[in-house]
Amino acid sequence: MKTMKWLLRREFWEHKGAFFWAPLAVSAILSLLIATLLGFGGAANNINASYNAHDAQGATVSIAAHLGDEQKAQLADIMSRSYMFVSAPIFLTLSFIVFFYCLGALYDERRDRSILFWKSLPISDSMTVMSKLAMAAFVVPLITIIMATATSLLVLLMFCITLTFKGVNMFAPLFTTPTVYLTPLHIVSLLPVYVLWALPTMGWLMMVSSWARSKAFLWAVGVPLLSVMMLYWVARMFHLQWDIAWYAKNVIARILLGVLPGVWFPFTGVERGQLVAPDQISIGMSAISTQSWATLSNPELWIGVAAGAAMIYVAIRMRRWREE
Amino acid sequence: MNSVTYPVISAKGLSKRYGKQIAVDDISFDIPPGRIVGLIGPNGSGKTTTLKAVLGLIPFEGQLSVLGLDPRTQRNALMEQVCFIADVAILPRWLRVSDAIDFVAGIHPKFNRAKAERYIARTKLQPSMKVKAMSKGMVVQLHLALVMAIDVKLLVLDEPTLGLDILYRKQFYQNLLEDYFDENKTIVITTHQVEEVEHILSDLMFIRDGKIVLAATMDEVGERYVEVMIEPGHVAAATQLGPIDQRTVFGKSVMLFDGVAREHLAALGETRNPSIADLFVATMKGSYA
Repeated sequence: MKTMKWLLRREFWEHKGAFFWAPLAVSAILSLLIATLLGFGGAANNINASYNAHDAQGATVSIAAHLGDEQKAQLADIMSRSYMFVSAPIFLTLSFIVFFYCLGALYDERRDRSILFWKSLPISDSMTVMSKLAMAAFVVPLITIIMATATSLLVLLMFCITLTFKGVNMFAPLFTTPTVYLTPLHIVSLLPVYVLWALPTMGWLMMVSSWARSKAFLWAVGVPLLSVMMLYWVARMFHLQWDIAWYAKNVIARILLGVLPGVWFPFTGVERGQLVAPDQISIGMSAISTQSWATLSNPELWIGVAAGAAMIYVAIRMRRWREE
Repeated sequence: MNSVTYPVISAKGLSKRYGKQIAVDDISFDIPPGRIVGLIGPNGSGKTTTLKAVLGLIPFEGQLSVLGLDPRTQRNALMEQVCFIADVAILPRWLRVSDAIDFVAGIHPKFNRAKAERYIARTKLQPSMKVKAMSKGMVVQLHLALVMAIDVKLLVLDEPTLGLDILYRKQFYQNLLEDYFDENKTIVITTHQVEEVEHILSDLMFIRDGKIVLAATMDEVGERYVEVMIEPGHVAAATQLGPIDQRTVFGKSVMLFDGVAREHLAALGETRNPSIADLFVATMKGSYA
């Protein structure tokens, strides 16, 4: 346990830029961008209107000052459910970071030969690989969630301040809505779902990372894509009725795109409409959470989890005899 | 001295092939505790491969026992007792001096933090310094500080001073001898700079083409090998004794003899102990031919 703590810390030292500064930079740029837009004023109406897009009142919220208490409550409800969507770019950054971290995790140490130093210490291969997996699956997503929540709350505050200038005080109705505080918890509760769906991709990337002697990216991405093209070509040539689309979606997409948060919806065919709870009028975190957990009943998920675990095992076995 | 000593490393029929190429060819040797063994051989002779087998970094054929453990199957347990510097400058570039100490202190049960810090304090290394900002010599100083503070039974050094200037090299071996080595420890060193280690070695192993061509203690080497500067009149007599090597210095023949009585040779000219480097050159003649 103590060793694991130090191994995680070690990973953080090495990848501080990717794990901490990159999401922080994206958060800062995002906040600044929105602050500027709000500062120019014009945007406030549009965004306000978009919050009300499905509202019976339509998009005529420029008469914001005339909003009644009931409308305010409705607006507060929508904002509290959807304010985290503004942090989507931060979660997109997460997928890139996790992707390239997994791809380099067992490759970079061989390229710079520092693997010989790590192997001179009493740390087993399984411990090392598991620490890197834990980093990608839990630590990095949690850092991202914390930053995304902080950014989202900051943006929400900025909206409220802008609305105040228009004579609408949303502070009280909004921050007394429990959903504001529950939304980040909903996202944290999605972490296990994320990890399970991301495992095939993490496993694949780490296996290639442990195996490739050079050009890890080409092996990890080029070969799967090439396999789709070749199968397609062979099927065309010989008029075979192979279901290449099935292969691309259920194998290749799973090992390459699994680290995208929410990718389980397209994978399982969940429609946008299903993410809206019946009693609500726009997409909210609670509906997303329910639907996400529902994907755990898909056998494809568990086949992927098994494949991911097997690839992690192969990565550990391969690292055993890798010296440089 | 304890009369019953188990070897630290015991190899029997150790072989390693890379495809068709034989890197280590059926070698057997024992290294008792409390020795400093120089494993010396030309490039590609199999010394690094032998050490990698000892450290459980590569699979191999034959029997090999290190501190009673099989490096193939018991590597994790082995690494608590063994440490190595595989090469210069393999510390990760992003590592800070302070982080390196924290990390090894955190994961190694036999690490003595105070000792590492004491050693670092004698160098120009700063706690906040990163490896990428260090010279090659400083990287080795850091690595040595970490390794010397780990109280293990076997230390393996594979070309630990390659590419360092003479000041760093001298200091490296001096530290090793003064602050680290004791009768409970064993050190195995490979190096090309034979002349720099010969004073600290207790045992010598020459390896050539994957085979051990000489394995002896330094005392035995001193008894066995004699170098004679032959007086002009005795060249023919000396040649009859079968020198293993012969060169000419200032017009005089200098011959190297293996196992010829020193009294006998003294009559032919001035005798002295050959340097390991001369012995090495004589033994490895034709290696690259």
